[in-house]
Amino acid sequence: MTLINSKTQLYTRQGLWSLFLMCAFPFHFWTLLLAFRDLSWLIDRSNLWDAISVASYGMIFAFAESLLVFLIAIILGFLVSKYWDSRYRIALISSLILITALWAIASQLFALLSISLPIWLIIFFVQQSHPLRALYVVSLLLVASTVLIPTYLILKSDKALQVILGFIDRITLLAAFYLLFDVIGLIIVIIRNV
Amino acid sequence: MKNQLNRRDFLKLASLMPLSFATPRFLKKLGNSQALQNGRKNVIVVVFDAFSAYNISLYGYKRETTPNLAKIAKRAIVYHNHFAGSNFTTSGTASLLTGTLPWTHRALLPNGMVAKPFVTRNFFHAFQNYYRVAYTHNSWAYTLLKQFHDQMDQLVPREKLLLGSYNGLIETLFKNDEDIASVSWARTIKIQDGGYAYSLFLSNLYKVLEEGKVANLKPMFPRGLPTSQTDIGFLLEDAVDWLGNLVTDIPQPFFGYFHFLPPHFPYNTSLEFYNRFDGDGYKPLSKPVDIFATHMINADALKYRREYDEFILYVDKEFGRFFNALEASGLLENSWVVLTSDHGEMFERGLIGHMDTLYQPVIRVPLFIFEPGRKDGIDIHTPTSAIDLLPTLTHMTGQTMPDWAEGVILPPFLDANPDPNRNVYAVSADKNDPKAALTQASTTLIKGRYKLLYYFGYPDFGVNELVKLYDIESDPDELVDLYNSKQEIVAELLSELKSKLDEVNKPYL
Repeated sequence: MTLINSKTQLYTRQGLWSLFLMCAFPFHFWTLLLAFRDLSWLIDRSNLWDAISVASYGMIFAFAESLLVFLIAIILGFLVSKYWDSRYRIALISSLILITALWAIASQLFALLSISLPIWLIIFFVQQSHPLRALYVVSLLLVASTVLIPTYLILKSDKALQVILGFIDRITLLAAFYLLFDVIGLIIVIIRNV
Repeated sequence: MKNQLNRRDFLKLASLMPLSFATPRFLKKLGNSQALQNGRKNVIVVVFDAFSAYNISLYGYKRETTPNLAKIAKRAIVYHNHFAGSNFTTSGTASLLTGTLPWTHRALLPNGMVAKPFVTRNFFHAFQNYYRVAYTHNSWAYTLLKQFHDQMDQLVPREKLLLGSYNGLIETLFKNDEDIASVSWARTIKIQDGGYAYSLFLSNLYKVLEEGKVANLKPMFPRGLPTSQTDIGFLLEDAVDWLGNLVTDIPQPFFGYFHFLPPHFPYNTSLEFYNRFDGDGYKPLSKPVDIFATHMINADALKYRREYDEFILYVDKEFGRFFNALEASGLLENSWVVLTSDHGEMFERGLIGHMDTLYQPVIRVPLFIFEPGRKDGIDIHTPTSAIDLLPTLTHMTGQTMPDWAEGVILPPFLDANPDPNRNVYAVSADKNDPKAALTQASTTLIKGRYKLLYYFGYPDFGVNELVKLYDIESDPDELVDLYNSKQEIVAELLSELKSKLDEVNKPYL
């Protein structure tokens, strides 16, 4: 295991590409999912072409958001010790982005599927002297643990690192397809605006 | 030679400075009055979106929704049976602006556009020797106004009266596709009621930014700010103040079309009228469920109706304020002021909103005409149509009356008595290809006391053809379908309506 390597450059070109695709994946996935969900009312509102166009703009906006998060991720990468192999940097930042995106998706799913907290949990919070503060503390612990545990595993276990890198490989392949959708979306947006 | 200004000369000149500020304004006013002396009065058309005559107390609604209108209507020509050309913004607004019915202007689809010839067949073209200005909150109406842009002197950007929204950037970037770009932007960045948006991170940031911008206004609108749902919100107060200033500043004579969104959904009234009708005991008539019914829970219909009625109070107050401002400025003496709507709204028969059907609440809209200098009111009960406004206003202002307009000059401006058996139509074909003959549409023919509803091409609803007949004089709530008991009248009106359909379909066959 080569955790420390003083000669390692911060990012490799391949690493940056993988990181960008990891950023693009959750935003494009979620946009496409909701765009499909919106198709019926948009067709009802106007027509299929408009519905596809709304999704096209959505893909462009998702690309812009991916780019922004990618830039933030690169900056975050500088906080990771430069003595660590760039693979660790990519694995750590990618998992951080993915986990926070998953939490964002989970919070939206709660709203979409009208899920509420179990009654026993609500009672637990209500019984506290500061229910809202207790809710925030529990949420923070939950989110922090889902970030810290994978981080620890990546740093301590070569096997965990390989699993994460393998996962990134698979996801980036899928995310590359999303970029193809971006191109199609861009063409549609251009057609509509000329 | 001493040619320098001395202190005394300088002070003399300085004393003339206020005059130099006042002169352009004075000359403009002089120019205005000269124009007005030529008999050309201004025309101000104010449209409130989805404003149903059914819910207006002045027209007999049980809740007192329009106390201000009731006061000023004493000086107006009030049309009690006025019908929109359609049941939604695009087709209804296009009918009003072009003086033709949807099957002619072909702005059939939501956010659609009129057929090419009508780009130069509309109010703005008819008033080409006037200063022409237009504004709308409504993005679909804005699509039409953009089509007529070349016929105007000033199309005020929609963004102008929307509260600090960032939509301007999107509308500027994608100005040729503003509606769909704005919808997508809204779906991406604006967290919907349920708490979701396409964007996972930026939507939360955007929400914080937006809420900061309107935080101080929120207490004034307990249900949320009035909005077109793709913007952060707007205030009708701002619109009225802006309009009051605009009409005193622009060159005269002018033709102005101002289309404001309230009382269109969401019915976010101001704190002043919030819950005004809560628990008032009002119970609307129970009506048969329609084939297009989507909202079967009566409590929902009651709640939405109450909120809509409270939103009308807000509209009523603001129009009253605008009217008073016009009067104070003296413009009322020199201007035709028209208050109307593009379509209505309904909360009955399992329907909430304004699509598919053509029952009275959806197509019967207010029409008030304030004639320059008129001191007493007139009530007109003859059925009239939105398409009549264009011929009437061109006629009354001495413009050339366009030969393509399908309407007639409204009473009491016509020398002859109005034809009580005139055919008044309304059409909705929001799924029909505008370049094809009508194969799926909701149509109605109003003639005298009878109203025939004819729906065709809705196989999804289990009917290919549906015909209903109502006597709207004795049964204004359309409770009793006379289809079986008045077969002769049904046959006569249906034959007329079908002949008309054959005629309008001919160019597309």
